[in-house]
Amino acid sequence: MTDRPAPRSIKILANLPLNALLYAVLIIPFLLMIYLAFLKWNPAGGYEWWRAPLIGLANFHKALHDSRFLSSLGRTIAYVAIVVTIEFLLGLLLAYLLLEKFPGKKLAIAIIIYPLMLPPVVVATIFYLMFQDYGPVNNIFLRSIIGEKALGIHWFLRPDTAFISLIIADIWQWTPFIFLIMYSALSAVPKRLIEAAQVLGASNFYIFWRIRLPLIKPLIVIAIVLRALEAFKVFDYVYIMTGGGPGTSTETVSVYIYRVAIEYHDISYASAMSLIVLLLIIIVTRIFIWYSFERGGR
Amino acid sequence: MKWGRIVVTSLKYIIIGVFILWVLVPVAWIITLAFKPYQEWRVAYFIPKQPTLDNFIVLFKPEVFTGVMGATAIVEPVTKPLINSLVVSALATVLAVIVGFFSAYGASRYNTPGPFGIFFTLLTRMLPPATFVTPIMVYYANLGLLDTHLGLIALYSSVTVTYAIWILKGFIDAIPVEWEEAAMLEGASPTKVLFKVVLPLVRPGLVVAGLFIFLLNWTELLFALVLTNINAVTLPVHISKYVGAVGQLYGPQAALALIGSIVPVTIGYIIQKHLVTGFTFGMVRG
Repeated sequence: MTDRPAPRSIKILANLPLNALLYAVLIIPFLLMIYLAFLKWNPAGGYEWWRAPLIGLANFHKALHDSRFLSSLGRTIAYVAIVVTIEFLLGLLLAYLLLEKFPGKKLAIAIIIYPLMLPPVVVATIFYLMFQDYGPVNNIFLRSIIGEKALGIHWFLRPDTAFISLIIADIWQWTPFIFLIMYSALSAVPKRLIEAAQVLGASNFYIFWRIRLPLIKPLIVIAIVLRALEAFKVFDYVYIMTGGGPGTSTETVSVYIYRVAIEYHDISYASAMSLIVLLLIIIVTRIFIWYSFERGGR
Repeated sequence: MKWGRIVVTSLKYIIIGVFILWVLVPVAWIITLAFKPYQEWRVAYFIPKQPTLDNFIVLFKPEVFTGVMGATAIVEPVTKPLINSLVVSALATVLAVIVGFFSAYGASRYNTPGPFGIFFTLLTRMLPPATFVTPIMVYYANLGLLDTHLGLIALYSSVTVTYAIWILKGFIDAIPVEWEEAAMLEGASPTKVLFKVVLPLVRPGLVVAGLFIFLLNWTELLFALVLTNINAVTLPVHISKYVGAVGQLYGPQAALALIGSIVPVTIGYIIQKHLVTGFTFGMVRG
């Protein structure tokens, strides 16, 4: 049926509601954002955006010289690189270990994917409570290793430990995401291929490295791209656990843009930074996909 | 050889066991903390000595508490955010699934809506919400939609409709085209075929897509944080205010985390098989 033109009624039903929704809610504001980015407008100034003066590229120029913006960008990229690497390795390992049948496997999977279903705000609350001075991380876990000193660790008052606490929350919640994709990918590798290699005397390591991994490569790319895009959005954990602090030391791009727009009311500057981030994401994603598939490399 | 195998197998179970503990310990801590009286909030053991329901009660009736727990009185009861979350998530889900169903049918059978619509819906999932919530706030302020349920419903359905399209397209692709063709030969109009033949067959897909989208709506924070203030505050916004502003009320915060988990976890396990499909826009089949 795909080669036939759609009947008029189907065309209307398939296009009209979708486009109406997208234009009314997303596309108009999106165009508005492009316009806002070229204005000098702060709603606290008491006039509406259509009265604000155009100032060309000044907002973009400001962003590229704003060390707080650039360091939040760098921090977010580091965050993405760290969490995606750890989550990928852990998720792949778990998926591989859970491939074979064993008693209790269904229960194990059900437990492993539990964090995936929680709202990020709830995960943030959980780890906010875990990392309090008298929370279980200090009071039970570290105290049993380093003694009473553990109670003096203030996780959210130091830039490095605050950042680590965010990373731990992210890994806790999203490793199951990679696990699920890798698990369904590895389960779909035909058994006869593995058996044939075993008959020929290939080691388990060789089978994993040379047969399983290359076969699931497209899904690895999908898993990493989707996870990286999601991790780049990180807002909830930072907002709730550290508030971007101490100081601005754990501020991510989303948190900084949110603050500029909502707390400092500098809407046009926030719009300009948003556009820079959008452009960056589209370019990086495109390059990554090109590098993984079209170039044919590994 | 034999010993080597035993070591490898036990190592495997140890790794799995450690990971399961890593998942369960924080959950166990929150569940037990939610039932601890305030004297036990800072203790180093899990099972409360004097279990209490006060942490839950204070969330709904902050005014009846004094002393340490009285500090929560500055925060609204959780009742309204809870109802708002249910209403907004449910209506936004219904809207996204209806719109998504028509588009998914077109995409599955006729290549309509065109690539632009599909690309744009994907784009909205790629970009950080923080980067496009600012203009939406300005736009909503001009339209008078700030802090309304309608505003949130419209936004939620437009950013989740892409999931509805991709999940439902998978289900529709699996229906044999011959059945629709047979119905058309009998003289049924295309819309009649859509409603009388396709719709009943795709019902399980509607349920999966709906539950998955409900899960996403229920967990969303940033849009609601920016676009609501008093009337339309959702549960995640309430949680974020509660944990940030009220400081060290560990017990009620844990209880709130539990309340926020019940609905999504229930839904998550109902659609467990389909979670991969949902999270990957149907690119990976569970």
